[in-house]
Amino acid sequence: MAAASTPKKLKPSSPNPKPYSPSIPPTPALRRSTRLTSSVDDLQTPQKPAPDPIQPIRGIERTPDSTKNGKTPAQGSKNSAADRPFSPVSPDIAEKRKRKRNEAKLRSPNWSSPGSKSANLVHKNKKKRESKKRVYYKKVVFDGGGFEAGDDVYVKRREDASSDEEDPEVEECWICFKSGKALMIECDDCLGGFHLKCVRPSLKEVPEGDWVCEFCDARRKGKRVELRAPPNGKKRRRTLRDKLLSSDLWAAHIESLWKDPDGIYWFKGRWYLIPEETSVGRQPHNLRRELYRTNDFDDIEMESVLRHCYVMNPKEFSKANNEGDDVFLCEYEYDVHRHSFKRLADIDNEEHGGEDGSDEDWDSTQDPDSDSEGDIEYEEESRTGLLTGQSAIGKSLCHKLAANSRKGRVFGLQRIGTKKIPEHVRCHKKTELEKAKTTLLLAILPKSLPCRNREMEEIAAFVKGAISDDRCLGRCLYIHGVPGTGKTMSVLAVMRYLRSEVDAGSIRPFSFVEINGLKLASPENIYRVVYESLTGHRVGWKKALHLLNERFSDGNRVGKDENRPCVLLIDELDLLVTRNQSVLYNILDWPNKPHSKLIVLGIANTMDLPEKLLPRISSRLGIQRLCFGPYNYQQLQEIILTRLTGINVFDKQAIEFASRKVAAISGDARRALEICRRAAELADYRSKQSAESTMASSDVYDSSAEKHFVGMADVEAAIKEMFQAPHIQVMKNCSKLGKIMLVALVHELYKTGMGETTFEKLANTVSCLCKSNGEVCPGWDTLLKVGCKLGECRIILCEEGSRHRMQKLQLNFPSDDVAFALKDCPQLPWLAKYL
Amino acid sequence: MEEGAAQNPAEEAIIFLRSRICNPSFLFTPFSNSPDTNYSKLKFIISNSITGACNNSILLLGPRGCGKTAVLDLVLRDLNAEYTDMILVVRLNGLLHSDDISALKEIARQLCLENQLLFSKMASFDDNSQFMTDMLRECGLAHKTIIFVLDEFDLFTQGKQRLLYSLLDAMQSLTSQAVVIGVSCRLDADQLLEKRVRSRFSHRKLLFVPPSTEDLQRLLEHTLYLPTDSTFPHDYAIEFNAKLHKILNDQRFKEILHSLSDVDTSVCHLSKFLFQVICSIDLKYGFLSLDNFKTASLGIQRQPKLESLLGASILELYLLVCMNRLELREQSSYNFNTLMKEYKSIHDSYQTSDNYAQNVCLLAFEHLLERELIGFTDSRAQSIEYRPVKLLISPYELHQGLKVNRSCPPILRKLFDHESFQ
Repeated sequence: MAAASTPKKLKPSSPNPKPYSPSIPPTPALRRSTRLTSSVDDLQTPQKPAPDPIQPIRGIERTPDSTKNGKTPAQGSKNSAADRPFSPVSPDIAEKRKRKRNEAKLRSPNWSSPGSKSANLVHKNKKKRESKKRVYYKKVVFDGGGFEAGDDVYVKRREDASSDEEDPEVEECWICFKSGKALMIECDDCLGGFHLKCVRPSLKEVPEGDWVCEFCDARRKGKRVELRAPPNGKKRRRTLRDKLLSSDLWAAHIESLWKDPDGIYWFKGRWYLIPEETSVGRQPHNLRRELYRTNDFDDIEMESVLRHCYVMNPKEFSKANNEGDDVFLCEYEYDVHRHSFKRLADIDNEEHGGEDGSDEDWDSTQDPDSDSEGDIEYEEESRTGLLTGQSAIGKSLCHKLAANSRKGRVFGLQRIGTKKIPEHVRCHKKTELEKAKTTLLLAILPKSLPCRNREMEEIAAFVKGAISDDRCLGRCLYIHGVPGTGKTMSVLAVMRYLRSEVDAGSIRPFSFVEINGLKLASPENIYRVVYESLTGHRVGWKKALHLLNERFSDGNRVGKDENRPCVLLIDELDLLVTRNQSVLYNILDWPNKPHSKLIVLGIANTMDLPEKLLPRISSRLGIQRLCFGPYNYQQLQEIILTRLTGINVFDKQAIEFASRKVAAISGDARRALEICRRAAELADYRSKQSAESTMASSDVYDSSAEKHFVGMADVEAAIKEMFQAPHIQVMKNCSKLGKIMLVALVHELYKTGMGETTFEKLANTVSCLCKSNGEVCPGWDTLLKVGCKLGECRIILCEEGSRHRMQKLQLNFPSDDVAFALKDCPQLPWLAKYL
Repeated sequence: MEEGAAQNPAEEAIIFLRSRICNPSFLFTPFSNSPDTNYSKLKFIISNSITGACNNSILLLGPRGCGKTAVLDLVLRDLNAEYTDMILVVRLNGLLHSDDISALKEIARQLCLENQLLFSKMASFDDNSQFMTDMLRECGLAHKTIIFVLDEFDLFTQGKQRLLYSLLDAMQSLTSQAVVIGVSCRLDADQLLEKRVRSRFSHRKLLFVPPSTEDLQRLLEHTLYLPTDSTFPHDYAIEFNAKLHKILNDQRFKEILHSLSDVDTSVCHLSKFLFQVICSIDLKYGFLSLDNFKTASLGIQRQPKLESLLGASILELYLLVCMNRLELREQSSYNFNTLMKEYKSIHDSYQTSDNYAQNVCLLAFEHLLERELIGFTDSRAQSIEYRPVKLLISPYELHQGLKVNRSCPPILRKLFDHESFQ
């Protein structure tokens, strides 16, 4: 760390360069930009109290009213508002700085008192990931400071509601400690505000270019500066380091950065804790500047970042004597769940396979950025950083963890999303047919789920009753039904509804665990998965079983959270059946324990799964059952029609035809939807082809409505494709010898009445047929080859060809199909004789 | 190029034609233009899934050698050019990755490779499947479609079908965007899916059938005519094409082609045939001749069993005839010892000159076993002498073989005729 001279790092001994005056009575003059008001109100994002001292900020003319900045805040916010074009360009730095000025004035001097972290965790709200796209950056220039993945930053805590009211909207002068209407100028160095008349020599107007206040000027020249003591009732501001160490601030490690579609910058942060915040509190051996890295990650808005701090490992820390005020030491990782400590070096060794000091990597990348001198250069540097960021992904990942292992998963993956998205492809306006196709997708969750109201009500009543009941005993519900009848969908819809009820406060909170039996590597893994989703700890399945047993059977609960009722949804329950059925037994036995508060919903296809199990299990599982019958054709029709409301491309009768067909075969809603989607696809294909041909022929784009309509024929074609085996097509198209062979097989079948025949007999029949019809008799080896080829397609079933003469053959399809396919074959008209 | 110009144009033409024949995407390009072909249908489905951000699953069915994979590759190549960076292809083969654990590992490996992520061999099934879901989500965010190509799809249906289930189930969510393409020669591949997997499958099916005779003719012309506007000397190319034209319209050539397509009409079979044709071009003559086609057709329609009978020694023929006699007497089960008894009896009654000791006979017997002219009927481990054996060739074939084998003693032929046609 040879960067002692960088402006970023202040000497710890030097007085705080930004002694902002604290609380001021609120003034009506609002300087809050519209963007900020919205974001503060909606997201309760903490604001920026302290500007970053690194970037020199141009002097800004100030007037007490809202147009002080030369630019109206409305203008400034317009640019930075959510409707920014959605592409990964670096935010305009100059504009950011203006905004930052705004925010700086919003700072609140009253930080929330150190309390329980969870109470204040509003900006740690894990925003539900929207389906919209994010843009990931390697580096973001935000509010004039360059932040990149791997940096450590100060993060604001949220102010209390009361402190919001005391928010000083207007900054006061540093010299006279008054606000007022007079024009103020801002120091480019310490960002303090000064009345034009208060500075020495006093200014008439705001000078062009940089301006530095006298204190900073003096400090730059190496003099000792005494700041004016604030008048009574006002306090000197503390440094960020002070605040952090008195847990008025947080520090976090940036793991990744991105911009949400609404233009808000976020980062994934890994929290640091001060020793006081751990379960054991500050220990005598803790150094004053010691922090703990945690395993706690959160998505944090960039708004709440104050500036960089530097968290080092002990080796670097010992060298960094005069690095500045924001240097911290971190030697251990703290597990927030297990309240345990782990030496970082050990973890890094584990993860990196001997490579020590992961922090060094980051610090070395950090240095060149912190050495920035001029505005413009810096801007360009960061831009290029952004541009090269994509290509650098691969390199930077080289020393990272394997992406498919558990530890690596947390980090690297999101960078895949950093790719610039080609927008043009999906931007074209959708035709009605394409809309229909989209809405018929299985993945689309329709707004309403018709035809399953009764079942959903039943499930909701069951879960609700179980949750509200204090001693919920034996709460197992077995849900069965053929695939595609909406079992999982209904349960999940009920859970969403109950979640909203929990949010509304009408029922008690509960935890919900969803498991799919087919996605488990082995049935025993279910313990591990359940335990992990309940507690977040990852243990082996035996340990997990033990812990779960403790929790459910013995009522041994540690935290407050664990006292909640737990709803366990097990999809594809039949996959959990082991030889001694212990897994199922354990899981179904827990709900019967007095303190378990466990509710099990099992889903499977077969109706009689409980009966197939051991009696002690079926007695636990089979009490309450819910059957999802196959949909009948009216229901299927309704399902399709509700999805297609507002899109008028389907023939009503075609839908009815499709739903009747599916209802007759399986009653599978997925099938019905797929048939309709396929039909729409076929119609789309047809219309596009014809459009192309008309374009080519007459250059007139003829968009007649008829071509864009899904009719009976399309649905029929789709049904045919889906349900009909293509063997007749293949039989019609196979080679001459193949056809003769099939006919010989049929002939043999008629003659003997036996389905199975041997190759020897068949070959004799074939040569007989050939002889009597004037064909060339093929060699047996050729025949064998042809037979094996037919066997590959499973038109006939046959043993492997190495059995030669003794190979057994059999038709795989009814002989009528062969007759149908080959009756009028133009190539070999004599075949009809034998069929 | 200079070197090439100095070469014999015929040599150059051979190299050129060979490279054409070995390139499946070239062979299938003539089929890609019209709207009714599988090419355009498949391309429409996949490109629709890319632009429409929807998930699809498609089965490509058809006999081997009809261009399922070739057309798919063609489509993927064209789509890759059309939508750069929006496609990520993961290829699995049922023969290699039919068990779920290794298949998921392979998926993770290929995804890591494509995205320059580090891959760990140690990751567990859960990790890999979690990784796959995460990748599907992230790629969906980046508007990237992952195309899973499952070759030999039918082999993935063994076992619990966890892989197919998790793939198809992941496609039920909006965030992931993928296309699963199964390639199989089993026509009933979709019937092999388990109910719950089948329900999640989109059931797009494309059937690949062997080309018709006209298409074959078109394909031949497409492949064999030399381009007149390339590096070949103009005169040479014109002459080559003229000679080829004459051959293609020759009745004898048509017969050859018919005999070929009687057995197998697939493109793959034809390309093998053409390769042999090209390889037999006489460099001095420098052009294709009908003889080339004749030799190639003989080369491709070989009768391995007759050929191995052709090379069989006298003793081996004796043994085969003896076995045939035993089978004619409807002795269902016999072994080497019974065979030796029969051999001795023939020798005693006809006083042939070919009398060999038992250990020599055993050697010949083993030799026949190796060539699979005879085979054991059970798989129990016994000493060779006592294991029951069976003749694997038919009397008809044996008859043919005795006729063509020059060294066959006439007594044996007589014996055989006498036995089988009395």
